[in-house]
Amino acid sequence: MEDATVAFLEGLSGRGVEPLLGGLTAKVRIDLEDGDATDHWLLDVRRGVIDVAHGDGEADSTLRADRATFEELATGRTNAMAAALRGALRIEGDLRILVLIQRLFPAPVGMPKAAGNRSVGRSRS
Amino acid sequence: MVRILDGNTFVVSDERGDIEPSTTEPTGLFSYDTRFLSSWVLSIDGLRLNALSTYDLQYFEARFFLVPATGTLYIDPKVSVIRERAVGDGFHEELTILSHSDRAADIVVRIDAGCDFADLFEIKDALPKLGTYDTRVADGRLVFSYERETFRRETTISSSAPAVIDERGLVFNVRLEAHGSWTTDISVVTSHVGLGMGATGTKYGRGKRLARPNMEQSLEQWVADAPRLECGWEPLRATYRRSLIDLAALRFSPPIAGGRSLPAAGLPWFMTMFGRDSIFTSIQALPFASELAATTLRVLGDWQGTRLDDFRDEDPGRILHEMRYGEMAAFEERPHTPYYGSVDATPLYVILLDEYERWTGDRALVRELEREARAAIAWIDDYADLMGNGYISYKRRNEQAGLENQSWKDSANSISYSDGRLPGFPRATCELQGYAYDAKVRAARLARLVWKDPAYADRLEAEAADLKRRFNRDFWHTDGGYFVLALDADGSQVDALASNIGLLLWSGIVDVSKAKSIVDHLMGPRLWSGWGVRTLAEGEGRYNPVGYHLGTVWPFDNSFIAWGLRRYGFKAEAARIAAGILDAAELFDGRLPEAFAGYERSQTRYPVRYPTACSPQAWSTGAPLLLLRTMLGLEPIGEHLVVDPAMPASIEHLELLDIPGRWGRIDAIGRGRIDVAGGRMPSTSRRRTSS
Repeated sequence: MEDATVAFLEGLSGRGVEPLLGGLTAKVRIDLEDGDATDHWLLDVRRGVIDVAHGDGEADSTLRADRATFEELATGRTNAMAAALRGALRIEGDLRILVLIQRLFPAPVGMPKAAGNRSVGRSRS
Repeated sequence: MVRILDGNTFVVSDERGDIEPSTTEPTGLFSYDTRFLSSWVLSIDGLRLNALSTYDLQYFEARFFLVPATGTLYIDPKVSVIRERAVGDGFHEELTILSHSDRAADIVVRIDAGCDFADLFEIKDALPKLGTYDTRVADGRLVFSYERETFRRETTISSSAPAVIDERGLVFNVRLEAHGSWTTDISVVTSHVGLGMGATGTKYGRGKRLARPNMEQSLEQWVADAPRLECGWEPLRATYRRSLIDLAALRFSPPIAGGRSLPAAGLPWFMTMFGRDSIFTSIQALPFASELAATTLRVLGDWQGTRLDDFRDEDPGRILHEMRYGEMAAFEERPHTPYYGSVDATPLYVILLDEYERWTGDRALVRELEREARAAIAWIDDYADLMGNGYISYKRRNEQAGLENQSWKDSANSISYSDGRLPGFPRATCELQGYAYDAKVRAARLARLVWKDPAYADRLEAEAADLKRRFNRDFWHTDGGYFVLALDADGSQVDALASNIGLLLWSGIVDVSKAKSIVDHLMGPRLWSGWGVRTLAEGEGRYNPVGYHLGTVWPFDNSFIAWGLRRYGFKAEAARIAAGILDAAELFDGRLPEAFAGYERSQTRYPVRYPTACSPQAWSTGAPLLLLRTMLGLEPIGEHLVVDPAMPASIEHLELLDIPGRWGRIDAIGRGRIDVAGGRMPSTSRRRTSS
């Protein structure tokens, strides 16, 4: 059932510079609660490049949710800000991290992928 | 009603300080769009109290002087009550009871408390709650809580004096000595889960000893940091001071802003981020408090759309319309996390960024927001051109909760043909095209100057020039000599004459050869009321001088129209608008409402208020500030501030001192030389008010 979560987190690695993170540098830990157990993932973000590791460690900010909630986030079935407001997704540390990380979640189910940033790219050669 | 607030936490009570269900206006303690107290009633020996007088000392504190309601004037009260309340992370109340008797007495002081945890949307639409309530007494505190799945909100009430607490409130059994006094501090603390919105105590304690330094202290600092205004006309000084204080009250610090503030839209019901209102107000305030613009740009940039989401009307690059924090948003029963259904906020975002740089020289922020600005420009071309005709248009995708009209005239019947029919969707209103033009011209300047991308600048300028050429052809009403209100879904003209043509002057999209004709309409009898430009011209099918966007006069609209008139060299007409709106401001005691009636000035002699729950309204608060700018002709050019006054003769003399900007601080001084027709009321005449 949690395939989407793992696929989402692992898929954050190896993207190169993620433009949606706006040059962010931060260590973010994702804590996935599963009953009494907690599964940890570490996102080491350097100037928008994300390095993902499965495991515990020190972080500047932590995003915490149960597995079911994160699965909904990773599949576009719920919205991160709404989840935070109802306490299903909790953030410790820099609140702005939530706003940046939520950009990485997919569009709602049934929505086409955005056409991309055809006009955003620099035209300078 | 007495309303005090701190950010988006506010208390609405009656003049006694009590909170009870009311039919006129929702009352209570509200924070982040949730009601944390719905009843709060003080009684002594079973008697309710009467207000002798009430002062809202600052926007965040009020003081109530009360006596027990004995039912007759002929018995002097034996006790009186002073209730002082300061809002901030809930509220703190200092209750003092004074004896006026030469005998000691035992009295029972009771505060009845209750909480419904209603969402603002639920209050508006009278919807039932889906979660469960709990009330408990623990550790000398009364705790109300509400829970729905992981959503939890809590109100904790405690007092410094010993109280008998039950689930309905607090009781103090007080021995009051002859001519003695008794006092207690009461705290009402609001707590949320998530987003760091929780609190462990109120912001203010007795004598404000707990106050964190962002409110009263900084209010004085805030006023001291703003330019000083010297003027022979006292009402303008009063209006200026009122505007600065109201702007301070309207500051809202979103959870992600790291303590910095941006202008919320209106007090108290719109104390949240609105893309359009926060941007327009930030532009108006640039010569006075440019830090508001910086926070607006950062926070709106952080929330810029990144994906397609029909529920939220979100697209990549789109700037948000409105953010809400209550239960219905949390459970996605409303789309406000955030909702993106605005089509003007995105080009206005780029306009603000450029105008901010022109005033402050803060190129670091322009560099920091390059991606956001480019994404906003890209949105105009990639997502806003719904009809494929090269114009911004709108059609909501959320058919249930989305907004039908997504530019500033957002009421349902605001966009009409001359004969009163309503067009279908999409709709391309004219001012949107002006914003798109201006955004591209300004982004081109930033691309050359800061982003060092001349090819991008060339492209934007070419697109802007092409847009201007097409616009002056497609939107021009040849017989009427004005730009039509909109193009409809067929690309045909929606031919009503409306104030939107004034915003077109502001954007610069109007061919110089057409400007005179536009100005004749703006200052002609159909649009000009004597106080300002009406939203819709008299004689249009839907014209109504007390219709929200159908003939009322909006101070914010007029302030930008005045700027547009200056841009095209119509100094006398700009001065005339400034004179009319500032005369109205005087008669509204320095606080302009969101809108007032479009009746002919000579007919009513006083401006007639349009009923609205929100006051002050941010962009009305900003209107006198922008009018000061247009009267003095302040324009940043390179490293300098150009001053080119064109003021109504009635103002005689005006000095704005220490205007901050990239030049350091500069003074602007002007003399009124322009004779505006229909001069102002004598300052001694006063309006009778019913509010």
